[in-house]
Amino acid sequence: MIKFVVFICGAIVMSFEILGSRVLAPNFGSSVFVWGSLISVFLAGLSAGYYLGGRLADLDPSSRKLSLIIIAPGLLFLTFPLYSVPISEWIFMKDLGVRISPLLASFALFLVPSVFLGIVSPYTAKLLICSLHTSGKTIGTLYALSTFGSIIGTLITSFYLITLAGTNALIVGQGVLLIVLAIPLYFMNLSCRIEQTSSAGGGNIR
Amino acid sequence: MKNIICVAVLFFAATQLKAFALEPSEKLLFEKNSLYQYIQVIEDTAKKERYVRNQKREYTQGGIYINAPEKLLFEFTQMGFVSLPFLDRDPQDVLFVGLGAGAMPKYFSKRYPEAMIDIAEIDADMLSVAQKYFYFKENERMKAHVEDGRLFVKRSKKKYDWIVLDAYQNDYIPFHLTTVEFLKEVKSRLKDGGVVVANITAPYRNKFFDSMVMTYKKAFPHLAIFKGKRSANFIFVATTGIRGKDKDTVEARAKKIQATRKFDIDLADYASRFEPSETYEWSGAKILTDDFAPVQLYQYQKSGAQ
Repeated sequence: MIKFVVFICGAIVMSFEILGSRVLAPNFGSSVFVWGSLISVFLAGLSAGYYLGGRLADLDPSSRKLSLIIIAPGLLFLTFPLYSVPISEWIFMKDLGVRISPLLASFALFLVPSVFLGIVSPYTAKLLICSLHTSGKTIGTLYALSTFGSIIGTLITSFYLITLAGTNALIVGQGVLLIVLAIPLYFMNLSCRIEQTSSAGGGNIR
Repeated sequence: MKNIICVAVLFFAATQLKAFALEPSEKLLFEKNSLYQYIQVIEDTAKKERYVRNQKREYTQGGIYINAPEKLLFEFTQMGFVSLPFLDRDPQDVLFVGLGAGAMPKYFSKRYPEAMIDIAEIDADMLSVAQKYFYFKENERMKAHVEDGRLFVKRSKKKYDWIVLDAYQNDYIPFHLTTVEFLKEVKSRLKDGGVVVANITAPYRNKFFDSMVMTYKKAFPHLAIFKGKRSANFIFVATTGIRGKDKDTVEARAKKIQATRKFDIDLADYASRFEPSETYEWSGAKILTDDFAPVQLYQYQKSGAQ
């Protein structure tokens, strides 16, 4: 289940990035500055998310907390159509130039959700590492799943989904998916046993 | 970290494609991967023609006769002028979205030297190619702006008599230049009685064509369509006004313009191909919006009409 969540979160990050280009185009065009802004903001969000996720994972991680981490971007996606247009239009009206305008819009619209989605990978890694002997395998598997999810998310969105539904509907759909995923996580009550085993081991040495 | 691969693939897929093989009579004059496209300038030494195109022969963006660079080589550039008779006056302020080889603005400015011309072209390399290989020259009345067409229209404070939409990347129009929101922005930049003309490339007929007809109809009260004889191009002419123009009026005015402005193309013949948009309207087609506009995918899907 946790692995599936990692896969889906990986897919949603990239799907959201593809859709982000459609969100920006009406007000900021499709110039190279728009793509540059979009990509760098997603990467900034993910790197902040990885860092924060690692810190949070050391503070008594549980699947219940993970579900809250996933619900946050889910709610942002659900309400995305309500705030994306006013924010984009406000930044357009400010007219800060062809570079700053799309960069600022990307920050406002895409940074927070990508931070939360970035948290997922290191957080789940900690949750799943129950044996230090196989931690490498666990982390490797999660990275692979997350990136494989990203590939699938990119392809499905750009090849297929945008013919089926509007950009806003797809983003709201991602929000629904995240929240649906978060519900079973909340009740799973999975927490990492690594603390207990390692402290028991420590006791033995002492 | 994981994004880097995806991003790199996406970012370069659009531009880093290889050139195709040339015909024996074709000579490569210039090629470049610009920020937006692969640009290739080819000279056909047998036909004595020069083209600018993207990856494929079908993605030709413009061209000239080497011995007569002031003439219009391609049917769609000639046919685009069929929209001038829809205007009751001489155009004073004109906007081109998409430059290509610059054939249409060059031809127009020669016949209407008094008009003020703006051109929005996203790709600075396309502008230098037009200048270097296609005799396109800016002057105090004709200015090219290196900017996304949608942004130029949205930011413009000016109003125009005649707006020409011909922005292409390979064989498709960037989606944000196809939507009803964009067309309404274009309409808001028109003076009273102003005219919009668009070059729509569509193998007859696909889902994209159907959607374009309905999207233009949604944004403008009147739409006339002209079908290319030698090419897969359609010319859409959209007007505001209370009443649309009928075929006879357009033909008569085309003859007059042809004589007074010394057009060396048969404007009246193009005008005689006038078809009301009802011929092509199909209510099953989806209107393209900023939210929903699968332009490239629709290009490959057969029309649902008939």
